[in-house]
Amino acid sequence: MTPIDVRIERLGKQYRLGVRRNAGSFWALKEVTFDVPRGASVGVIGRNGAGKSTLLKVLAGITAPTSGSVTIDGRLASLIEVGSGFHPELTGRENVFLSAAILGMRRHEIAAKLPAIVEFAGVERFIDTPVRWYSSGMYVRLGFSIAAHLEPDVLLVDEVLAVGDAEFQVKCLTRIRDLKRQGITTIFISHDLTAVEQLCDTAVLLDKGEVMMIGEPAHVVSEYHRRITTAATEAADFASVAREGVLRITGLTFGGDASGLRALSARTGDPLVVSVRYTATRQLDRVVFEITYYSSDGKTIIATARTDEGGGVSVVPPGGVIEFVSDPFPLKRGAYYVGVVVREAVTRHVIDWWDGGTNLFVEAGTEVIGQFYMPHTWRVTHAGEKTPSLPRVIPNAR
Amino acid sequence: MSIVPPAPGLRTRPVTRFEPPSLRNIRPLRELARLTQFLDLLKTLSIHRIKVRYKRSRLGILWALLHPLSMMLVFALMFSFIRGAPAQEVPYAVFAYAGLLLWSAFSSGLSSAASALTSHADLVTKVAFPREILPLTYVVAALTDLAIASTALVAMMFWFHVPLTITALWSVIAVALLALFLVAAGLIVSAFQVRHRDVGLAMPVVLQMWMFATPVLYPLSAARRGLPSALYALYIANPMAGIVDAFRRAVVLDQHPDSAALAVSALVILVLLPASFIYFKHAERTMADVV
Repeated sequence: MTPIDVRIERLGKQYRLGVRRNAGSFWALKEVTFDVPRGASVGVIGRNGAGKSTLLKVLAGITAPTSGSVTIDGRLASLIEVGSGFHPELTGRENVFLSAAILGMRRHEIAAKLPAIVEFAGVERFIDTPVRWYSSGMYVRLGFSIAAHLEPDVLLVDEVLAVGDAEFQVKCLTRIRDLKRQGITTIFISHDLTAVEQLCDTAVLLDKGEVMMIGEPAHVVSEYHRRITTAATEAADFASVAREGVLRITGLTFGGDASGLRALSARTGDPLVVSVRYTATRQLDRVVFEITYYSSDGKTIIATARTDEGGGVSVVPPGGVIEFVSDPFPLKRGAYYVGVVVREAVTRHVIDWWDGGTNLFVEAGTEVIGQFYMPHTWRVTHAGEKTPSLPRVIPNAR
Repeated sequence: MSIVPPAPGLRTRPVTRFEPPSLRNIRPLRELARLTQFLDLLKTLSIHRIKVRYKRSRLGILWALLHPLSMMLVFALMFSFIRGAPAQEVPYAVFAYAGLLLWSAFSSGLSSAASALTSHADLVTKVAFPREILPLTYVVAALTDLAIASTALVAMMFWFHVPLTITALWSVIAVALLALFLVAAGLIVSAFQVRHRDVGLAMPVVLQMWMFATPVLYPLSAARRGLPSALYALYIANPMAGIVDAFRRAVVLDQHPDSAALAVSALVILVLLPASFIYFKHAERTMADVV
């Protein structure tokens, strides 16, 4: 049987609000229970304030739990806010010694690893320069590099993948994969759902300090999406709107398939039809339908499509379908999350919305370099020739 | 680049358990063992502390001398005007400096140790390491200052033809007790400061009064003569009384220490030291939440 490296039993952490005794308190973690077997990697996801950082702090031994317990078998190292032990007056080399010592390394261990640490961070030329002259990128790279060269049995990783440039991120991921291959147990606490899906065998979803779901990363990530959609809508300006029921969105489908599947895949560069079904009890004029594509974490609006040209559309009972055609569909490979809002064109008043947690998975189609596929045409003019007219059909590389 | 995977069985895997804080589940010996694993950090941080302190000042390390020297000058001048310096065996300047030397090591060590945790809040909230290292580095720095400032004492004794004899070896015990007391007081005060910032504000006043309640500028014998015996018992319960007096007798007066006073100091420190460590380790469990 695989030994359990990290055992979390009914863990609770209560914080006081304010300094005064009667200021009240809240539970940042409630009855959190799960095990991490040796060699496994577990990703903990959840919204801001779900208790992820608190969990990490308790696991790292920075603060004690209020109830329950954590048992860790093995030497633990945590990559929490790398570089936090740096002193700006000291050189990179001195900081490596200081920071690594804080993380529990002995001086001779550090000396032996110094070349590898410096090389990994790519700061060879500046190692004897005080870190106050470092760029923020160099600072973070050196910090990560130190932590990545500890030899722990259990590694805690917190959002570090969000630092540095793309090249360095790849390096970090490779490094973490190496550590995994060596049988090190890892716990990731991250907003980066792609990284969690790529690196973890199991994911844990936290919400308001409680474990909501434990399972396959892909399943847990989609549950997370479902929850944040609901939450995003609750938080947005629709919250105060009373649904009058005059117009109701009843379905959102992608492609020609009208089966009402909630998640469907599209392909970059291919045409995509998005159908919004609705019912109406009386005629409404000047209505605007808006489709919004969010990033997979639900935080960023990637694109919108709306029927606002000509002052909106008219709807009549009993209802119908609005089809949005994107040809070619420009979003690059990845998971998105789609919502629909219907507004009055003039007042921008919200009539109805759709927040069913619809995921759109875009598969790799036309190669995208950059943020999205840029629809384009081209022509070649040789000197002395007559300029040809632009083709009407958009060339598609596939 | 690759790391050789740890062979199972060859390396010991420590088992750590985190539970709600309670005085009962503190294991002082285990905590001490953990502290010894971090001795390199204590060394690195202490050196760093000493370096940074003097790096950007023009007089640099001379400041370690200037503090007790300037106080000595003030009091020596004062007593040369009002006559009747409280000690006659040796020049008063030497007498006062020997006391101030130890006292300023104590007072600067304690007041800087008090803010050791609050001024490193970023470390305390982000990294798990034995936090007692932070106040301890200030104790090490204060003792280093003491060593530097001692050279001035030797120079003064040479100048005033005060002999340095074998009796001076008693000073080793006095300094050792000072170090232990500084550790105990530093642990208590720094952990208390995390929750009660008044400590830092009260520190200068308390230290000022404490100095006059310690035989720094006058001999212990003066206190024994002047105080009723009940009050005198309270007076020597202050560990600094026995320490300062023993140091000065040994080094500049060529006398053995007042054994009663020194024994009381040692006893108080021996009780205080483990208590302060347990208190600190208990407070440490949740200090990241409030610092």
